[in-house]
Amino acid sequence: MAAIGILIKIFIVANVLMGAVAYLIWVERKIAAYAQDRIGPNRAGSEFGIPFGLLQPLADGAKMLLKEGVLPAYVNKPLYLIAPVIAIIAALLGFAVVPFGPVGPNQVMDFQIAPYVDIGILWVFAVGSLAVYAVILAGWSSNNKYSFIGGLRSSAQLISYEIPLGLSILGMVLITGSLDLNAIIRWQNEHHVWGVFVSPLGFIIFLVSAFAETNRLPFDLPESEQELVGGFHTEYSGMKFGMFFLGEYVHVITVSALTVILFGGGWDLWGLLPYLNYKDVGWIAAIAKLSVFSVKVAAVILFMMWIRWTLPRFRYDQLMDLAWKSLIPLALLNLFATAVVLQIVRG
Amino acid sequence: MTHETITRPEWSTVIDPVLQKELEQHVLVTSWDKLLGMVDTIYNWGRRSSLWPLGFGLACCAIEMICTASSRFDIARFGAEVFRGSPRQADLMIVSGTVTKTMMPIIARLYDQMPEPKYVIAMGACASGGGPFKEGYNVVSGVDKFLPVDVYIPGCPPTPQSLLNGLMVLQRKIDGEKIDIPLIGREGNTAWYRDDVEREIPVPVLGPDLIDLRTVELAAERTAMGLVEAREAGLDKPALIPAPTVEHAPPPETASARPARKLKHAVARPSLVWLGDERLAQLADDLNRTLGPGTAAIIQAGLLIPPQKLVPVAFYLRDKNPIRYDYLVTIQSVHYTDCIEVVYHLDSTGVPGSLIELRVRAAEAEGAGEVPSLYDVYRGADFQEREVFDMMGVRFEGHPNLKRILMWEGFAYHPLRKDYLEPYYEAPAKVFPSRVDDGLGHHFRAEELNPHGTNLKAPRNYQDWGKLSSLDDPKGRLLVPSGVQVEELATDQYVVSMGPQHPSTHGVFRLNLRVDGETIVGLQPVMGYMHRNHEKIGERNTFLMNFPFTDRLDYLTSMANNFGYALAVEQLLGDEARPPERAEYIRVIMAELTRIASHMWSIGFLLNDLGAFFTPALYAIEERELILDLFEWAAGSRMMCNYFRFGGVAFDLPPGWIERCRGIVNERIDRKIDELDRYLSGNEILLDRTKGVGILDREQAIQFSTSGPVLRASGVAYDIRRVAPYSIYDRFEFRIPTGTVGDVYDRYHVRLEEMRESVRILKQAVRDIPDGPILPRKKTYQIKVPAGEAYSRVENPKGELGYYVVADGSATAYRYHVRSPSFINLTALETMCLGHTIADVVGILGSLDIVLGEVDR
Repeated sequence: MAAIGILIKIFIVANVLMGAVAYLIWVERKIAAYAQDRIGPNRAGSEFGIPFGLLQPLADGAKMLLKEGVLPAYVNKPLYLIAPVIAIIAALLGFAVVPFGPVGPNQVMDFQIAPYVDIGILWVFAVGSLAVYAVILAGWSSNNKYSFIGGLRSSAQLISYEIPLGLSILGMVLITGSLDLNAIIRWQNEHHVWGVFVSPLGFIIFLVSAFAETNRLPFDLPESEQELVGGFHTEYSGMKFGMFFLGEYVHVITVSALTVILFGGGWDLWGLLPYLNYKDVGWIAAIAKLSVFSVKVAAVILFMMWIRWTLPRFRYDQLMDLAWKSLIPLALLNLFATAVVLQIVRG
Repeated sequence: MTHETITRPEWSTVIDPVLQKELEQHVLVTSWDKLLGMVDTIYNWGRRSSLWPLGFGLACCAIEMICTASSRFDIARFGAEVFRGSPRQADLMIVSGTVTKTMMPIIARLYDQMPEPKYVIAMGACASGGGPFKEGYNVVSGVDKFLPVDVYIPGCPPTPQSLLNGLMVLQRKIDGEKIDIPLIGREGNTAWYRDDVEREIPVPVLGPDLIDLRTVELAAERTAMGLVEAREAGLDKPALIPAPTVEHAPPPETASARPARKLKHAVARPSLVWLGDERLAQLADDLNRTLGPGTAAIIQAGLLIPPQKLVPVAFYLRDKNPIRYDYLVTIQSVHYTDCIEVVYHLDSTGVPGSLIELRVRAAEAEGAGEVPSLYDVYRGADFQEREVFDMMGVRFEGHPNLKRILMWEGFAYHPLRKDYLEPYYEAPAKVFPSRVDDGLGHHFRAEELNPHGTNLKAPRNYQDWGKLSSLDDPKGRLLVPSGVQVEELATDQYVVSMGPQHPSTHGVFRLNLRVDGETIVGLQPVMGYMHRNHEKIGERNTFLMNFPFTDRLDYLTSMANNFGYALAVEQLLGDEARPPERAEYIRVIMAELTRIASHMWSIGFLLNDLGAFFTPALYAIEERELILDLFEWAAGSRMMCNYFRFGGVAFDLPPGWIERCRGIVNERIDRKIDELDRYLSGNEILLDRTKGVGILDREQAIQFSTSGPVLRASGVAYDIRRVAPYSIYDRFEFRIPTGTVGDVYDRYHVRLEEMRESVRILKQAVRDIPDGPILPRKKTYQIKVPAGEAYSRVENPKGELGYYVVADGSATAYRYHVRSPSFINLTALETMCLGHTIADVVGILGSLDIVLGEVDR
């Protein structure tokens, strides 16, 4: 029975996530348009009386699904075909331990696919870094120099940024004393103080690394369009290309959710609204928490998009310099300082 | 009311039509056709609403294509703003511009690489049928000779509105499509997924000419029969004139005694501002004294140098002469009856305004001419000598890499020789007989004139038809960069061919890069993909007809291109074509507005190359649009203004124009430039990406003959408006901004400052513009230009644009050469890029600000 419940939950979450991703692409295009003083998609859907181009993602999806899937003769076929699959699986798996609402034995239900995982953060990072395989395999198997350079850049970039990303959260882990994402939210809720205030340096490092982890501007070097045409996905067409896209956006959602959980208090709102206490149970509290959480995640995503349409891109070596010469030392410093302060405060 | 019955073949039941209608209304699925119709609707709707164009632009139309994506027009509304760099992800190929033979194999390959269902829009006159460049020897007469085109958009270039209309027409076409389902025997009207329709295009080959592999046997047969040569035998050929000699110069007293209109020879001077007769004579004496007698003789204000003395003379002029001629302005060549003359213009950056002309004569016969290379004296000679070799067949001894530059290795002819006739050749000068109706109602298409039925001509004795292969790459094969050794790590180097279809090459430009990891260790630019035979066509055009062609050189700065050409011919025409005061002001206003528009574009796209995804570019384009509005209002066209005339401009400014211009100049542009400066110049990522990248120091910049912002960013205050003032630039107050380091940032910043200076000039010009006539006399449509030669120099936004015109007294130019700043600035590209990474190459190229229409002409 429980298994079926979980399957249903997975089904709903996966579908909601995919729908959200489709609409994120629409949102991204709209934000790009507003950033550039344009209107953006507004025709698709107007045939059926639906405004603002809201059906644009459906049109894109319908087109992509029915597009010819070109399989170039010179690619390494098994790896070429499996790369987009890895991209989307890795992205979706990471979301399994993200609590998007209240979780607990007393709650109406666990708003998390895999609740009560003590090492949630480790799981997210472990699975999330699998995505690098997708990029490397795609780049290598395409047998195309642009793809190849894109793949190489990506492997170096993702591996480098894993380190500051991992180190930056350790401060929060030390403070809250748990690797469980729910416990971290609960700690912030108990103290009514968000991670961003207790570990500001960690937050900044995390945010910068998160941009790099998700391949977003100003760190989108693996697919930097102006240099490498399409980077690792240059040779992909139709839905195979679409899967990379979907994977990337799921990754964005996951990382944004993590940002909110670790540094934005999860569904906490400083007690300004009722029902937002970890002790509150019942449907109303659950829905309130879910809503607050979603709004916060959306805000982080919008911020990432806003950055993308504003800044130029780093050069590859500058990107590595930033990781190894600035972020990692800073993250270590942050960890050390947090540990010392904690030791003093707690005696 | 008639009671029709509908019989169904399967079970022959009579159905009441009323019931049938009811059924159709309430029960959705009534037949396979209906069901599939719904599928079609959804499927078609998906495709029509999500047409992702392939991000590739060929020529002028590409600029309008980009404008269609900009804020004012916003193609994104149709969901079509997702320009994909990779053909694998694109649905729609917008062939935006002239399809050249050099580019055609690449276009065909890109088309083959796109997944089905795919669509092609032929944007503009050139893509649809060759357009104004149709008779060029390197132009394909319409992309539909090779690809199936869905929508043709007329215009040259079509405005963004036309492109949007074309897109909507394509959407309507998609709405009518039905898919083919063999399983149930349904026949659609689409060609994809059908086995019996071959949609793959055989990639044409660059052999002696562009060879379509589908008709290669026919081409071989007709060539062997010599049909083209047989046709040419019956046509008028261009007459050659003898090279000028010392005694050829006209006696000055007869010139002044006669009325100016009858003047047969123009005053001999290479340019409006030059060394002058006396000092030239003195220089000739100096040369004869130091380098032995017979070194220099004065011919028509130029120094005739024997080939074997050229290199010593150049060294002397550069290093020992009191005026150090350190700057090679341009090299061009003229085909005369008895020789091919290579003409060099030299100037000094220390003592500017002392331009001199050197003439060197080589044997006339094809491939026989030889001239020593000036590569060791002036590195800027590199590409220009290759161009002369390509076009005229003159070999340059000592040039390290003497390969064809605009055409491909293996092309059978040297096209600018007077004895080379294009495949569509009709007559030495326009108007061509086939274009004149003669009252008979006959019009000929150029294709009907050529025995091949297409723009094809191969030498009769060509034998290697069987060896032609689509996989061969005669354009880039021999231009693979050699590269230097890197000692640090034992890694393999490899070659990346960037372009000609690449998001950041600013058109159809190709870079063969040799990289070690991501570090550039060798670079060879490959150009000519946009070579549309401007100079050859310019020799067929009457002088006046050539104006619209100059628009299409650097298609972002048509007004300024007009300016240079007008000056060149006015120099030959002399006093009779002196522009009246108002016209001079209008010209300066137009040229400076052009500079702002062009620099806006350039800065925006530099940022785009650095990865700021279109946002700064689109804000810059907004300002450009306002300027284009002014152009459209005054000249009738946004981009291709065709506004200047010899001695003035075509039309007076419409009422209200000056007020609007004042408004924009005084109140808007300034603010916007400050805005760009504020948001961009201090951005840390921008500084990281541009400071210390692509450094070209002062000496190198001069050595490489760079000009314009590139030269000035390296600290050389060399601006034609100041060093060789033309028109009325000497009346305005303006500064010449220079850089210090010569890196990408300096070039960016010089452009920014130049816009400020342009605004300053504009403010003075719109304040002082007088009333009066705009032409010295009434409009003429046929002018006779006195024989002579002239070189005009204008400071274009990209650099020094020069027109070298040799007139023989007829209605067309005998020789017409364009010194293209973008082309010559590219000579320095390799030096700037070595040691940097691929990402920097893109930024450095962006900072050079090239326009392919001008690079390849």
